[in-house]
Amino acid sequence: MVDAARHPKIDVRTYTNVERVEGYVGNFKVQLREKARHVLADRCNGCGECSKACPIEVPNYFEMNLAPRKAAYVPMSQSVPLRYTIDEEACIHCYKCVDACGALEAIDFSQEDKVVWEDIGSIVVATGFNHFDPSVIPEYGYGRYPNVITAMEMERLNNSAGPTTGNLIRPSDQKNPQRLAIINCVGSRDKRFNPWCSNFCCMYAIKNAVLLKQMNPELEISIYYMDIRTPSKGYEEFYDRARSMGIRFIQGRPSLITEDPQTKNLFVHSEDVVLGKISELEYDMVMLNQAAVPQPDVDTVSSVLNITQSPGGWFMEYHPKLRPVDSPTDGIFLAGACQGLKDIPSSVSSGLATASRAGRILHSDEWEIEPIIAQVWEDRCVMAQGKVCGVCSRACPYGAIVIEEGKAASVTVAKCHGCGGCVAECPHNAITQMHFTDAQVLAQMRALLADRPEEKIFAFRCHWCSYGGADLAGTSHFDYSANERGIRVMCSARMDPDFIYEAFRLGAGAVLYSGCHPQDCHYITGQRVGATRADRLQKLFEKLEMTSGRFRIEWISAAEGDKYSRVINEMQKVIDNIPHDQLMAEIERLRPEMEKRARRMYETPGVDKALVYSDEMVQAITAKEVKSGA
Amino acid sequence: MAEQKPEDELRIGVYICHCGSNIAGVIDPAEVAEWASHLPGVVRATDTLYACADSGQTLIKEDIKKYNLNRVVVSACSVRMHETTFRAAVSEAGLNPFLMEMANIREQCTWAHGHDKDGALRKAKDLTASAIAKARFLNPLTMIKVPVTKRAMVIGGGVAGISAALDLADQGIETILVEKEPTIGGVMAQLNKTFPTMDCSI
Ligand SMILES: Cc1cc2nc3c(=O)[nH]c(=O)nc-3n(C[C@H](O)[C@H](O)[C@H](O)COP(=O)(O)OP(=O)(O)OC[C@H]3O[C@@H](n4cnc5c(N)ncnc54)[C@H](O)[C@@H]3O)c2cc1C
Ligand SMILES: Cc1cc2nc3c(=O)[nH]c(=O)nc-3n(C[C@H](O)[C@H](O)[C@H](O)COP(=O)(O)OP(=O)(O)OC[C@H]3O[C@@H](n4cnc5c(N)ncnc54)[C@H](O)[C@@H]3O)c2cc1C
Ligand code: SF4
Ligand code: SF4
Ligand code: SF4
Repeated sequence: MVDAARHPKIDVRTYTNVERVEGYVGNFKVQLREKARHVLADRCNGCGECSKACPIEVPNYFEMNLAPRKAAYVPMSQSVPLRYTIDEEACIHCYKCVDACGALEAIDFSQEDKVVWEDIGSIVVATGFNHFDPSVIPEYGYGRYPNVITAMEMERLNNSAGPTTGNLIRPSDQKNPQRLAIINCVGSRDKRFNPWCSNFCCMYAIKNAVLLKQMNPELEISIYYMDIRTPSKGYEEFYDRARSMGIRFIQGRPSLITEDPQTKNLFVHSEDVVLGKISELEYDMVMLNQAAVPQPDVDTVSSVLNITQSPGGWFMEYHPKLRPVDSPTDGIFLAGACQGLKDIPSSVSSGLATASRAGRILHSDEWEIEPIIAQVWEDRCVMAQGKVCGVCSRACPYGAIVIEEGKAASVTVAKCHGCGGCVAECPHNAITQMHFTDAQVLAQMRALLADRPEEKIFAFRCHWCSYGGADLAGTSHFDYSANERGIRVMCSARMDPDFIYEAFRLGAGAVLYSGCHPQDCHYITGQRVGATRADRLQKLFEKLEMTSGRFRIEWISAAEGDKYSRVINEMQKVIDNIPHDQLMAEIERLRPEMEKRARRMYETPGVDKALVYSDEMVQAITAKEVKSGA
Repeated sequence: MAEQKPEDELRIGVYICHCGSNIAGVIDPAEVAEWASHLPGVVRATDTLYACADSGQTLIKEDIKKYNLNRVVVSACSVRMHETTFRAAVSEAGLNPFLMEMANIREQCTWAHGHDKDGALRKAKDLTASAIAKARFLNPLTMIKVPVTKRAMVIGGGVAGISAALDLADQGIETILVEKEPTIGGVMAQLNKTFPTMDCSI
């Protein structure tokens, strides 16, 4: 900690929030809000006179609220930096602190939040985790029984720097306990609360038991567990040591804790799996190893940084095996427990790994980004003909399109992230996206729907989420109908209505319009552009009396392989439930309308060639199909 | 590097990967290759045991020269897995990396349709045809070069963030460490002695 503060290349900004992040790899702009501490950092020498003078006491979060702090405070005596903070909410403005500070004149009540922008090449996110509140588990009585405490409270009570200077006492009577129960998996591996394993509680249960036993060998300690998980180096050996010290391990998840109202002693009711018996044992104190959960502001951090979450609320890595510390956004990396729970050795390893990944970028003079950006055909843009438009620029999440009267719209290359939203929104087909042109998509669609299209579920997927969800369905072997045929574009914003009309015109049995969940969008608001359009299409198809379910909108994250598979299978059922003649009749009935609407796309530059080539392709495919079917 | 003109005669090479038994355990890659060889613009189509292995990449690179290929289609795994691998491979053989297209016949085909081998085969063919169709219209592109601001930001001053910041700073990179609380340290600073070493946490 101190090393970080002392390092000449590290600028520590505490009491500071990240409010906005703009830009892209190598060129981020980050807005920070340094909250007013009402203490001047360069004058405060950390003497703490202000705190001594302050008459206000409030619970200290750092001590898990077991001990108070003043309104003028540091969370702990070893705070880094050692600068006091005046808690605006608690302060009564008596200004005793100002007098106490005296000639140093470090306290300044006129100080306001400072908002600054920083230019940054690469970002490491290391926002950690939070603690589950076990008071929502009624059977354990946390919050009602004074002698039931959490593991974090134990860490403070058993800590020589903590509020009791390391003397473990019962909250009810300040006596030293003689019998302690430690309960694992409190809110973890419990479908009612959090399905995951919290990774480090088995080990810290053993740690605390060993430490307490070393201090007081008379203390009887039982650890209730479902499984003991000790897979890292030396961990199993540590567990063995704990057992040889006489710490008792009881396999079973306690179903109930009751309290003797007189003694405030506790009875832990549990199965003992090893003995095959129900046990009810009396203790002086119970420690609950509460689950580790995501930070409460994880959604805000996600949306500010444009990074997605895995189920449960952990930040999602680019690839769990091959790129475990990369976020899907180039130049943003993930360290520590915020990506998935890790103990200290693993958190440090991942932190160091991010430094190496970010270093690759930061030691380069230039960085390459994919050229899959938008480009305007100036002769097609109606702005150039003096008309009013600008639809594209309103769709762009990055303000990358410049609109000037009398001039064709123009894309600022460095700002365009390549979502393709403008391309799909332009009513005049005047924009294209490199590597995802109309001609390319049309050629793909025609190949995929060449043969027996009415049997096919045609799926549009965005690169970052639903394509990843389809990958995960495969990786997890969640089987789904092999009639699915998919196309990948970068964002649901690129899913041109013309594509959907064309898919139905070609006779697709069903069409899936899928992308990320709104909060996961890789392009800030790209999904919203896609979703608005999809809803419009849905309404149109309803009006045209298309069988419901033939067009389906689903937001599927890269972590939702099960959902991808389920949705495809449900769409297969929709097709199966329509009698074949009826389906063919519906396709024919709607074809002229679809054709009329899709026709606009055929005028897009390059599409003419795609039409010719596609005909050849379809002929080749259907000829072959007939041959191999014979 | 020879200049590619997209309008030149189409010469597409198609590679169907076995991925050991991951793909070949469900469908016959050789059958897909044979089928693809009849599609318009395809001048070379073959199966390969592991397209991403050295041998597979060498095959593609040699074919680009031997058959004068100007488009390459690799039917194998997800683009999230190996798009960069194959882009690099074709680029080493002098082809613009954006003239390579992948069809995902592993994650999105054989792995998801193990129960329906005929269906998987039909789908693998269609996905390959679709990639060939897209390849026909691919254009050579060049990566966009952007400048790099040589400063890092670490958000969160727990043990993970502190480790990252120290290592970046030791590499000589100016680093801002942002922490929302009045002190850095995170949960670790609150802990008593910590496993596995049982030393003090701060
Ligand atoms: C049966 C089994 C199944 C597994 N399944 C999975 C799984 O599904 N998922 C998962 O994540 N992990 C799995 N693992 C674990 C996985 O194998 C390891 O995480 C991984 O192999 C470790 O990689 P490594 O590079 O550290 O070591 P290794 O894979 O052991 O590679 C070490 C390399 O160094 C070489 N070498 C050794 N000594 C020398 C020397 N003196 N000089 C030069 N070269 C040397 C060796 O020949 C070898 O090529 C599995 C392991 C086993 C045994
Ligand atoms: C009771 C208990 C005992 C444990 N004992 C051990 C042990 O003995 N050994 C061991 O190896 N592990 C132990 N662990 C696990 C250990 O706490 C974690 O491995 C470690 O804290 C993870 O570090 P981190 O940096 O990822 O996250 P954190 O420690 O959570 O740090 C995250 C930091 O980021 C800050 N932050 C969060 N959001 C923002 C934001 N939006 N902007 C700016 N800053 C932000 C937080 O304030 C915090 O300072 C224990 C855990 C618990 C709960
Ligand atoms: S680490 Fe142990 S105690 Fe914690 S959730 Fe996992 S199994 Fe339960
Ligand atoms: S809408 Fe998307 S593709 Fe169009 S300019 Fe903006 S970022 Fe680029
Ligand atoms: S939406 Fe199309 S026509 Fe309108 S300004 Fe943009 S590019 Fe021009």
